[in-house]
Amino acid sequence: MTSTSFMMIIFMILPIFSWCATSTVAANLSPANLDGLKAQFQTAMKSFSDVASLHYTLAGIKELGVQPPDSFCNDIKKLVDKSNIESIYHATEAAKTLANCKLPVEDYRSVVTSTLQSDKSTTSEVYYAVSSSVNLGLTVDEASIEKRLNALAKTDDSILSQGYALLTGAQLSQPVAKFYADTVNDLVQQADEIDGRTLQYEGGVGTTALLVSAFYEVAEKAGAAMKIDPKQLHKFASYFSTKRHVATLRSAYYLTKVFKYLSDNKNTMPVVVTRVSPSAISAQNPSVLVSVSNLLGQPVGEISVVAESAKRKDDGVVVISKQKLTSKASDFSVFELPFYDTKIPRGFYTIHLTLTPRGDGKLIGLTDNTIDVKVTSEGAIENAELSVSDRDNTAQAKTYKLTYPNVQSEKLELDYHQKLVLKFQIKDKRTGEFIRVQQAFLRFTNKKSNKEIIYLAEATDGSNSQYKVEVDLQTNANDFRHQSGAYNAALILGDQLLQNAYEWKLNDNIQLSFHEDSQADKNHQNLYVPRPEIVHQFRLDEVRPPTIVSLVFSALTLLPLLILFILWIKLGFNLSGLPLGLSPLGFHISHGAVFALMFFYWKYLDMFQTIRYLALISIPLFIFGHRVLATLAARREKKA
Amino acid sequence: MTQVGQVVGILRKLNEEYQSSTPKKLKLIDAYLVYVLLTGIVQFAYCLLVGTFPFNSFLSGFISTVGCFVLAASLRIQLNKANQITFNVSPERAFADFVFAHIILHLVVVNFIG
Repeated sequence: MTSTSFMMIIFMILPIFSWCATSTVAANLSPANLDGLKAQFQTAMKSFSDVASLHYTLAGIKELGVQPPDSFCNDIKKLVDKSNIESIYHATEAAKTLANCKLPVEDYRSVVTSTLQSDKSTTSEVYYAVSSSVNLGLTVDEASIEKRLNALAKTDDSILSQGYALLTGAQLSQPVAKFYADTVNDLVQQADEIDGRTLQYEGGVGTTALLVSAFYEVAEKAGAAMKIDPKQLHKFASYFSTKRHVATLRSAYYLTKVFKYLSDNKNTMPVVVTRVSPSAISAQNPSVLVSVSNLLGQPVGEISVVAESAKRKDDGVVVISKQKLTSKASDFSVFELPFYDTKIPRGFYTIHLTLTPRGDGKLIGLTDNTIDVKVTSEGAIENAELSVSDRDNTAQAKTYKLTYPNVQSEKLELDYHQKLVLKFQIKDKRTGEFIRVQQAFLRFTNKKSNKEIIYLAEATDGSNSQYKVEVDLQTNANDFRHQSGAYNAALILGDQLLQNAYEWKLNDNIQLSFHEDSQADKNHQNLYVPRPEIVHQFRLDEVRPPTIVSLVFSALTLLPLLILFILWIKLGFNLSGLPLGLSPLGFHISHGAVFALMFFYWKYLDMFQTIRYLALISIPLFIFGHRVLATLAARREKKA
Repeated sequence: MTQVGQVVGILRKLNEEYQSSTPKKLKLIDAYLVYVLLTGIVQFAYCLLVGTFPFNSFLSGFISTVGCFVLAASLRIQLNKANQITFNVSPERAFADFVFAHIILHLVVVNFIG
């Protein structure tokens, strides 16, 4: 890795670091992603597969101010399914957006009428039928539709059904619309609140946007203002402003509609406050620029912005209090707050803004707006010195004073009983105090192999944070893998609040000699290569003696038997006293059977079977043995 | 020289005593004991020579010789008329015990021999 790529990585990481730190959970709204929505509609316009997408795309793009060409009229007529009321609805709505697209009314009349008269149509189907009738110019029997809607309200109380009922009411006459407009508050109570900050309905952004735009539509038809608590409206707006990308065209269309309603200055409008200047404040960028607009990014009229407080994040120190921002644009859309000041120390700050409109309040979200910024400062490296000394005898050290950005000209030669110590301090140029930084590294680069060895510099506690790095050629030899040779040394410094990061080449020619032989570099590319196969080794058999030895010893074991017989014969062993008869015979047979059983036990049987057989044999053995012994005892008694 | 001579003399006297005063029955049992002892020695020598694999077999064989020796020795003690004061059992009873104990010993040995 070359030093430039490493530098690039640091410069990439630092801003990301700072961005992560500054984009805390904001209560602010953000402007709608109009470009994204427009792009989504324009991509969809390239090819259509069904009439619903056609409807949503054409209507959506028209809301965003682009008039779709009349050529789509043929597509509508081609894609519509004349037997499906939903398809007819989409077709009529799509045709409405075009300048000159007349649909054949007679083709659809029967389906529309049958849906309106049927008892089985759902709320959505009723809405489609009513809407299609209005679009096609057919008459609508309001009384029967009202009755139908009331019946449906009893059986289907899902939120979407209620939404469609509202939309149907908005298509009918004003009193009906007024009736439905009064139900808006109940519907709002049915929304789910998340984290105390957003309100949404089950079903995601499409359903929520459909419902909220239904509120506006029905209120508009009723001629009355929408009855909704401003805080709750703000929470809905908060939900919508978090939706930067939506998946379906339906959601995109309704989201666009709801943004338009929320940015219409006839209605209550949420205000969006965002920072438009970079997040880092420095001498080159001394002010915070804030933009005030509605959700569509349009200015909201005369308004004044006051920074209530600017607090530092780590210790809550307040640096600004009740300062008015100056307006930079004639339409009151951009405001400036000068922030760079010697009295404001470096750090992360949260600025609380309050807005006060000139006219009467139709704007919401005027308080609780925060902007996060960070104040950076330039640093300077001071008192940098490099010293070479013996490991155990630091008294005799050779010290070299270094000044940024000069490269040390002397060639340093270190061997295995020496160590290198680098000391330095970093000063904040503005305040003159010594600061600590998040990244302070000393990097050695092997000139031949370009491998890097990096050490962390640690600072002492206290106000004079002095950084020190120590590299001992004996204890740290493993890091270098004992590779003696020429090295470069560079000091790397970086911090979120430091305006300038450092990569200072200290010395171009340091000769390091290690005690042991150099080890090869670890080949890191081979870490994920398949490892050598481990062949399973079954447990090896024990070493056994050759068969001859075993046989010889087996014979030797039987030899004493021979000796026994010889001795017995010499002693006069005879079987003269052996009693004859059934009992002795039985005894000898059962006794022999026991030994035979032992043999079989060894070869074939298991303990349980043996015990059973033994129990069986021991009965005759006992009986006959008893008899024989009794006979022998009697014989002995007779003799004595 | 005299010491060795003394020892030899003592041993010879012992042997004479033994041959004369021991009944034949006990001498037979003594011969049996010598046989068992020799078998045990042979087994142990084999183990020392070639190692203890399979250990269970060696143990079982060795314990078998030891067990037989012990049982035979106890039979001899019981049959010795000189011990009649301490052990008052009939020779038949002693023999029956001997046979019974042997059956159990053989059962265990064959179980362990593997």
